[in-house]
Amino acid sequence: MAENESKTTQENAPATTVSRRNLFQILGSVPAVAALAGGATAQTHDHAHMAPQAAASTGPYKRQTFDDHQWKTVGLLCDLIIPADEHSGSATQAGVPEFIDDWIAFRTDQGGNEDLKAQIFGGLMWLDRESSAKFQKDFADAAPDQQKQILDRIAYPKRAAKEDHAWVAFFSEFRSLTVSGYFSSKMGVAALPYLGNTAVEHWTGCDPKVWAIIEDRMKNGYNGILESKPWTT
Amino acid sequence: MAQVKASPKQYDVVIVGSGAGGGVAGQVLANAGAKTCVLEAGDWYDCTKNSKMFDWPYNVPHRGAGTKDKPWGFFDATTVGGWRVPGEPYTNAPGSDWMWWRARMLGGRTNHYGRISLRMGPYDFKPYSRDGKGFDWPFTYEELAPYYDKAEELIGVFGSAENLENTPDGKFQPPPAPRGYERLIKIACDKLKISCIPSRLAILTKSINGRPACHYCAQCGRSCGVNANFNSPGVHLLPAMKTGNLEIRTSAMVREVLVGPDGLASGVSYIDKKTRNDVQVRAKIVVLAASCCETARIMLNSKSSQFPNGIANSSGLVGRYVMDTVGSAVSGFLPILQDLPPQNEDGVGGMHLYMPWWLYKEQAAKKLPFARGYHIEIGGGREMPGVGALGGYATHFLDGGYGAEMKQNLRKLYGCQVYFSGRGEMIPNEDSYCEIDPEVVDEWGIPVLQFHFKWSQDEILQAKHMQETFQEIIETMGGTVTHKSGADTNWGISRGGEIIHEVGATKIGDNPKTSVLNKYCQAWDVKNLFITDAAPFVSNADKNPTLTISALGWRTSEYIADQVKKLNVKV
Repeated sequence: MAENESKTTQENAPATTVSRRNLFQILGSVPAVAALAGGATAQTHDHAHMAPQAAASTGPYKRQTFDDHQWKTVGLLCDLIIPADEHSGSATQAGVPEFIDDWIAFRTDQGGNEDLKAQIFGGLMWLDRESSAKFQKDFADAAPDQQKQILDRIAYPKRAAKEDHAWVAFFSEFRSLTVSGYFSSKMGVAALPYLGNTAVEHWTGCDPKVWAIIEDRMKNGYNGILESKPWTT
Repeated sequence: MAQVKASPKQYDVVIVGSGAGGGVAGQVLANAGAKTCVLEAGDWYDCTKNSKMFDWPYNVPHRGAGTKDKPWGFFDATTVGGWRVPGEPYTNAPGSDWMWWRARMLGGRTNHYGRISLRMGPYDFKPYSRDGKGFDWPFTYEELAPYYDKAEELIGVFGSAENLENTPDGKFQPPPAPRGYERLIKIACDKLKISCIPSRLAILTKSINGRPACHYCAQCGRSCGVNANFNSPGVHLLPAMKTGNLEIRTSAMVREVLVGPDGLASGVSYIDKKTRNDVQVRAKIVVLAASCCETARIMLNSKSSQFPNGIANSSGLVGRYVMDTVGSAVSGFLPILQDLPPQNEDGVGGMHLYMPWWLYKEQAAKKLPFARGYHIEIGGGREMPGVGALGGYATHFLDGGYGAEMKQNLRKLYGCQVYFSGRGEMIPNEDSYCEIDPEVVDEWGIPVLQFHFKWSQDEILQAKHMQETFQEIIETMGGTVTHKSGADTNWGISRGGEIIHEVGATKIGDNPKTSVLNKYCQAWDVKNLFITDAAPFVSNADKNPTLTISALGWRTSEYIADQVKKLNVKV
């Protein structure tokens, strides 16, 4: 994992600097804390220590789980699930295939069983079998509309055919790994966006503008991706 | 050949353990002028030097996921320990399934705990008198109240004056304003007539004693790099060392309490984990604060001709009446929160609102099928994305899919999740206790504990009530219940020990035949042996134990100092 740790460290520097500056402002207003922590020098050192450690190595990620052919399919599948859009880059740009490769190795080691690995490997094999039978090509080499035909069979649990349920379960798992790998990456965190993990000098609770929207929805309901019915009245 | 080292130095007090109970005792006694030695089985830990505050999941192995050695993940402040401690096993009797979290580090579990700081109320000290179950404490709320005041003022607890039944207010700092989803939960609770008030956590919202106020990064569990939340080293021990009266020895795994020919404790014997030497520390007074079960273990292993069943165990009750807290959880999804303008919802490391037990009247009117109550803890919102972030959302809320539209929709659904956890009172029972396993030892050659544990119907029906209540709150907000438990799992009731609120094992009382300690947590059989962790507890109200450990430990320590002055205890 050393390689993975190092990957994003450089990009991370600006955000960390802001956090530390904010923290120093807070600390600056509390001179007594320096005495407690053993003086200003120690304090500076401590906060430097808290910043993400500098990269020890800068080599490329070393695969632990997938072979070359699987790797090609995994990368393609990740980007079909999370493509780049106007907000943010794609799953492969966020390092999701590396995350999944590491995660499967990690779970196999920690959990002491190979179930997750078997499900993902088996699902990847099915994609190739299905694509070869229909289009005489491996999944990764099939045309985009051919890939879509296959994925549409397994990407929607409620309308999938009963005989496809094992592959639906595979795809749900793979999608889950891709989504969580993406949104917990540096790119994904910014895409959501998650705005925390920083020092806040004055906490004021829920933004009044946001609360006004919530109150309006309580009164009038809201029809977004999911319906929310009125409920205070 | 193993060496036994005995230093000629005699301390006034030796304290075993450096968590909430050992910390407060160390500080009060050092401040009172006693030459004090604190022994900790783990390594040195100082949150201002070791905190992983502000680091990102994507910069650490496996996005910070839990491992066998770090069950609560990479960022958890617990450096060594967890559900298992390498080389230090424990066993379960057939049919029992006890979980035991031990933190081997200076400050113990105060480094990572939830900082929830609730006073026990007047009813909680007299539960037997109220419903005929369990035991009464040998004193009242009023007797402990001044020590709750002192503890809150020292460690710093925020909260609000509410004047609610059996939910005493304290010496509070101002509470932080609630997050958006918390305000929604409060509106739903108002509708359901469930009290919902600012939480009470040991996190500073104002600077005190040179400790700065919280900077609202929500990561208290990693330990705080600026000492803005309560932790024993940063609040008790390191400041107390400035008196010159307090010495701390780490890697000191206590094996037994030593006894002199006069039947009094003469010190303790520990294994120096670094050298594997057996070391003896002599002291005029011995205070055990090793965490309730570890304290019982040391006592049961302290066998001598005077105390063949373990020190101060003439009642045979050492190890008996171990309790944990009842836990059960439900999670939900609130569509009303979808696609809101982004905001930082971190706040303090924990909930800003909570729901204290609210059904005292219904219970008194015998309208509930179980005794005792629970409080509700909440979480949710735009939390820091780590392992599993938004993982199942597409499957659960979007009927699957993939591609640009799904990606957009997921961004809009971020922050809609809410969690409810009940924390309820367990009544002590005859089937829940620990004893020495006659066949198993740890790597230090110390016999280990075997646990026996059973929930009663009171606890199981409480878990059922939690499940029903939490689901009702979610539905009141127009939400969907995403995780719940039913009869097949006893309503998701936690495993014994899982909530890490173990108390009991050396109960206090007013009769040497039915208790191990007197009302000052002083052993009936050995008058210079005291206990300041949660082992003296005779009940485990739904008020998380740490604040009561602090208050009770403070009272016991003042009593020790006072007794020494009056020469009632030989020093």
